[in-house]
Amino acid sequence: MASEFNATEKPDENPVLWVARPMATAARQFAKSLFRPSTIIYPYERLEDPRFRTKVGVGSGMPIGVGPVWDNYRGVHALNIATCISCNLCAFSCPDLCIQMVTVPGGDPKHPKKCPEIDYGKCSYCGFCSDACPEGCLTMTTRYELSTTKRSEMVYSPAKLNEVFRTKLPMNPIRIELPKNEDSILLDPPLCIGCNACARDCPTQCITMLDIPKPEAKPGEKVAKRIWKEPVVNDSDCVRCGTCISVCPKECLFWGGSK
Amino acid sequence: MTTTTLYSVSYDLSRALLGAVGSVLPPGARDALTSSNAVTALAVLVFCVILLAASMLNTIVLIWWERKLLGRFMDRRGAMHVGYAGLLQNFADGLKLFRKTTVSPREADGLGFYFGPTAYMVSSLVIFGILPISSGWNAGALPLSLLLALTIFSFAPLFIFVSAWSSNNKYSLMGGLRSAAQMIAYEVPLLLAVVAVVIVSGSFDLTTIVYDQRNYWFWGPLFLALVVFVAAMLAEMERIPFDLPEAEAELVEGWNTEYGGMLFAFFMLADYLRALVGSILVVLLFLGGWTLPSWVPAGLTSFPLAGIVWFMVKTYAVFGLFVWIRASLPRVRTDQLLRVGWNRMIPLALLSVFLAAALVTVRCVPVLGCVPSVGA
Ligand code: SF4
Ligand code: SF4
Ligand code: SF4
Repeated sequence: MASEFNATEKPDENPVLWVARPMATAARQFAKSLFRPSTIIYPYERLEDPRFRTKVGVGSGMPIGVGPVWDNYRGVHALNIATCISCNLCAFSCPDLCIQMVTVPGGDPKHPKKCPEIDYGKCSYCGFCSDACPEGCLTMTTRYELSTTKRSEMVYSPAKLNEVFRTKLPMNPIRIELPKNEDSILLDPPLCIGCNACARDCPTQCITMLDIPKPEAKPGEKVAKRIWKEPVVNDSDCVRCGTCISVCPKECLFWGGSK
Repeated sequence: MTTTTLYSVSYDLSRALLGAVGSVLPPGARDALTSSNAVTALAVLVFCVILLAASMLNTIVLIWWERKLLGRFMDRRGAMHVGYAGLLQNFADGLKLFRKTTVSPREADGLGFYFGPTAYMVSSLVIFGILPISSGWNAGALPLSLLLALTIFSFAPLFIFVSAWSSNNKYSLMGGLRSAAQMIAYEVPLLLAVVAVVIVSGSFDLTTIVYDQRNYWFWGPLFLALVVFVAAMLAEMERIPFDLPEAEAELVEGWNTEYGGMLFAFFMLADYLRALVGSILVVLLFLGGWTLPSWVPAGLTSFPLAGIVWFMVKTYAVFGLFVWIRASLPRVRTDQLLRVGWNRMIPLALLSVFLAAALVTVRCVPVLGCVPSVGA
C-alpha cells in the first residue's frame, strides 16, 4: 500500500504522454463544445424551449412537466384556496417549519379560514406538505424561478400561491400513497364537558354534537356541571388532521383502533 | 517612408491638443504652449497614458479571453451576460474590486502590505514600455531591451515575498516561500532558453531579434528552447499546472490570502500583465513578432497598423496555448516541480543552447534556410 504513494516509483508510461494525452482530451472537448456547449444561456434560453426538449427528455407535443424528467419536478407550490379546508396538515408535516397558517378572507369570524403561507427562503422542496394535504389543493408545480432582491419577497402569501395555481402550470402528479391512517378519533366520555371546541374547529365539519341524557342526581352527590352533549365523528369525512385532539381542553379525544 | 510609431502618434496628438488650447490664449502664452519643449513634455505623458491604457485594456480582455476559452474547454460558455458575449464582465468585476474597502489584517506590517502589491503591479507595467509591439511601437530603441525586460520580470518574487511576509499569515508566508523557490528555480532555464535565441540572433535588442526572424521564425530550429521557455514561463507566471503558490485547495489563496478589494485587483491584474508579457515574449522571440512569412499575401500585411494586429493575434493565440495547458493538466507537487526545474529543465535548456550554437556554426539548414550572420 505504501508503495502506491512512493514519489520515487517509476511510472510505466512515457512521460511525454502525461502531457500529451490530457491535452488531446482537452482539445477534443474544446472542439466539441466550440459549437455546441452543453450549457444553455439561461435567462435568454430555457429548457422549456422546444429545441431543448429532447435534451431534457420532454416528449414532443407534451407540455413541460409531462415526461420522464419533469413529471416529478418539485418547484413552487400551487394552492387552491377554494378547496383548502384549513386542516393545518401541511404546516404540521413541513420539516423546515416554513409554513405559517395565515387567515384569508372567506371564513366566518368564529371559524376563520386559514391557508398556508410558505417561506421559500426556508423551503427545501421536499413535497411533504403536498403529500399530506388531504384535499389535494396544495401541489407542486414546475416553476423554478424565485430570485428577488428582497428577502421578504421570498415569503409567498396564500393569495400569491393561489396565483401560481391559476397559471395552470403543470403540477407534480406524483403523490406518495401515505399509509392509510386506520385509527380514528375516540372519546373518553367521562372527561368530556361538551364544550363544542372540536366540532367548531374541525375543518371538515364532520363532528356533530349529539345530546346525551342528563343523569339523575344520586343522593348525596351533585350532578356534574357540563353541557350534556358529546361529539360523534363521521369517520368517512374525517381527514385525520388531529385538530380536534389539539383543541380539546380536557384532552379527552385520542387516536384509537376504530374497530 | 514615414512610419507611424507610438512616439510620432503621441507627438502629433499633443501638438494638436496644445495647438487647440493655445488658439484661445493670448499670443505670448500660445507661443510658450506650442514650443517644441512643451509639446515634447506632453508627448511623453500622452505616450505613457497610451501605454498604460493599452496594457490595462489588453490585460482585462486577456482575462475575458481566458474565461471564454476555459469555458469551452469545460463544455460551457464562460461569461455571457455583461456586454457582447461577456466582454465587459471583467470591467464590471474590476470596478467592483476598486470600489471595495481594503482591509488589512491587524498584525500585518502596513508598509510591506501596501508596498508589495503596488510594486508588483508597477514592475509588471514597466515592462510594457520596453516590449516593442510593432516596429517603432516601443518606448525607445534599447540595445539590451530583452535583458532589461527579463530583469524587471524577475523582480516579482521579491515583491510577492514582501507582501506574503507582511501579511502575517501562515498560508501567505507558505505561498510566498513556494513562489520564491519556484521562480528562482525556473529563472535559470528561462534565461538559458533565451540565451539560445540570443546566440542565433546575436542581439539582445528585441526589435533586432524580430527582424532576424525574417527568413524563418525561430520556433522551428529552436523548438527545444521554445518548449523550455514556455514551461519555465508557465512557472514564472504561476499558472496551472505550476500554480503552487496560489494552490487554493491547500493554501487558501497562497500569498494573496489576506488581500481584498483594490490590492487584490492589483495582484490579479499584475498576474495577467505578466501572462501577457510572457505571451508577448514568446511571440517576439520565437514567432516572428509582428512580421508574417513572405508567402502571406501582401494585402494581409499592408493595411494600417497591420503589425500590431498580427502581433495581437499571435499573442492571444500563445495565451490560448497557456489556457489549453491550464485546462488539461493538474497541478504538480512542490517536490516534483522543483525536481523538474533543476533536474530536467536546466539540462534541456543547456542542450538547446548547444543546438543553437551548432546552428550558428553550420549557418544553413536545408529546409529552414540560413541563420542571420552573427553580430551583423
Ligand atoms: S415542500 Fe417541504 S419544506 Fe417546503 S413547505 Fe412543503 S413541507 Fe415544508
Ligand atoms: S393540508 Fe391542504 S387542506 Fe390542509 S390546510 Fe394545508 S393546504 Fe389546506
Ligand atoms: S381529526 Fe378531528 S378535527 Fe380533524 S377532521 Fe377528524 S374529527 Fe375533524
